[in-house]
Amino acid sequence: MKTVLLAPLDPVHDNAVKLLKRKLSEAGYDAHAMPPGTTPEEVIQRALTLKPAAILVSRTLGYKVAEILSQLVDLADAAGLRDATRIGVGGMAITREIGAELGFDGCFVGELKMNAVIDFIEGRSASQTARAFDEITREKPDITAGYTYRFFDPKIESYLNQITDQILSAAAGKTTDGIERAKIRSEMLEMDVATRDHRGSPETRGKLLARYITLCDSEIQAFYKDGRLPAGVRWLDRAEIDRVGELFPSGHEPFTPLRHNRPKPYFFSQYGTGCPIMDVYHIKVAEAWGIDGVFHFDPSWNAQREGLLEGYLTHEHDGTILTLENLSFIRSFLEPYTLWNVRGHRGLNTPETQVLGHAAGADLFKINIPYGSTAGGTDPQRLLVDGVYSLKLAAQYKIPFDIPGNDELSGVPPYKTFAGLLIMMSLGLRLGARPIPKPLLCYSPYMTIHGRMDDNMIDMNLAKLAVWRDIVDTPIWPGEPVGFMTHTPDRVQSALQTSLHASLAAAAGVDAVTIASSDEAYSKGPISVQARVDTLRAVRDQLRFQGSLQASLSPAAESIKAEIHEKITATLAAVAARGDFAASIYEGLLGSQDDGLYPGRVGAGTVRGE
Amino acid sequence: MMKAMDRVVDAVDIETFLYCTSEDEAKELAEQLALELGLPHGDIVFLEFKAWGARVRIRSYIHHPGDHYRWMEKEHEA
Repeated sequence: MKTVLLAPLDPVHDNAVKLLKRKLSEAGYDAHAMPPGTTPEEVIQRALTLKPAAILVSRTLGYKVAEILSQLVDLADAAGLRDATRIGVGGMAITREIGAELGFDGCFVGELKMNAVIDFIEGRSASQTARAFDEITREKPDITAGYTYRFFDPKIESYLNQITDQILSAAAGKTTDGIERAKIRSEMLEMDVATRDHRGSPETRGKLLARYITLCDSEIQAFYKDGRLPAGVRWLDRAEIDRVGELFPSGHEPFTPLRHNRPKPYFFSQYGTGCPIMDVYHIKVAEAWGIDGVFHFDPSWNAQREGLLEGYLTHEHDGTILTLENLSFIRSFLEPYTLWNVRGHRGLNTPETQVLGHAAGADLFKINIPYGSTAGGTDPQRLLVDGVYSLKLAAQYKIPFDIPGNDELSGVPPYKTFAGLLIMMSLGLRLGARPIPKPLLCYSPYMTIHGRMDDNMIDMNLAKLAVWRDIVDTPIWPGEPVGFMTHTPDRVQSALQTSLHASLAAAAGVDAVTIASSDEAYSKGPISVQARVDTLRAVRDQLRFQGSLQASLSPAAESIKAEIHEKITATLAAVAARGDFAASIYEGLLGSQDDGLYPGRVGAGTVRGE
Repeated sequence: MMKAMDRVVDAVDIETFLYCTSEDEAKELAEQLALELGLPHGDIVFLEFKAWGARVRIRSYIHHPGDHYRWMEKEHEA
């Protein structure tokens, strides 16, 4: 057992010394703490008796810092202590420069990191502990683990079964160009010819690509046939790609999660700056500040054109171009425990996105037929057929899919959105996939217009989470991101709203939470990397403040929960009675034009028989 | 020689408080400040005027996504 001597060279402050004494004792060290007001002479005198492996001194007050600390170092030198004893310094008054100038062996600045202190005592390099810590403490979680998906409400379950039958019947024997392209991509992957630098047969690639191109829009065809890039897009060059690896060497200090003392929730943020290299930087920063998982966001035009590009591509617009090369490049830089979601919940390339996401190593998909079929999205019939195929892929790949409830942002009441999420859950489960519903915590137009959050934002949001526990045994993942429409461009306000919503969700016992950056409401430029850090810091502190407190529903929240539950049932009854899921979307049963929702038109009339 | 500005990953944000008598004046001053500081294409991300002055955040993108990032250059290349 090694001996450590702890001394506050400060007249008052000894909190750090007391804390260190407890933690070092728990870690198996013989730790001795001296009282506040200890002088350098007293420290050296005690050290000569104890012969410690390390002396750790602290100083909070700023006056005479250099004088007192240099006296300690001089006395230690004169006493011949330093051959066997390392001397470290920390505290509010200490900077790395002071520590180095005065000849200390170690200097501890900022938040107390026990692994760094232990490294110092043991004379190890920080990276050795960092690697060991990483390997031991962070594993990639399965958000769906432990959930049975058993329905507690038989009426809802019965309606869902009816609707699921209708959807599967409607999709049976149907195909689309999107599905056929996904099949070709799968074949290209099997034949090792899916990328531009493939190792397979050029003839095979040529044949498959020729078939693929016939199923694409003209702009995508021009890319493959003539090498013409869409406006604003450029190739990343090899030197740029290779250089990124040098920017993020392994052996970094361990990244601690945002959670304080709960095993859940896992925290996610989205990326999609437009550039895979910038994405990697943003992801690595988010990981360093505690994120558990990230989403790949592609450009909106990806959803509106038949066919996907390929290669390492970048552009100066929102959303990073979805290619196998881009995805694989980004994926290669994630920490081993970071969850990675590739969204494909809407658009004409939904099936192919699942194929490429799986090939690149995705841990999660995002699929939602009702949401993707509205608000400028894809035609409901088209996405119904593509969505069923995509869910089959998710089941085949054993990749869970999450279901965003962001149609609330158009003005849809939560019960209609939740009915849509439940339909997607039921459909996914029938096809063998594992769904994760994502009730949105937001200040939506419905809430504003109907005054449902005039008094507070807690009752409604808690009710929206709690109602799920009454219906089905499922993981719950509020997003996307939490606090939507509460944010302003004021970074303090924005980070605060995110942290309040995130911590409320944590107190309600959810499994995961998607958080925004503090640039959420800034629309005139890309999200900055510092804006990501803003909210991660805010959430961490809010979770620390809150600890393991559990949220409980007020009478008002109980009443809202009962109302949502009842109206979900009524909504599902109406959809089941309609007997045609696509028609239910067209006719507004899951969100009407009065609510602010319009059926998507992209890809209308493109469903055909197999 | 490497410039610190080259190491800005994407944007520089300047937060400050301006003495002014109206929101319009605050906007003018914020834009002028960006120019005086030599920040290219300064944009007002946030501005809140109350009574005696304005709290403001000005942003300038040093590197846009898709650019060739100078922070990726090795020291001898910068």
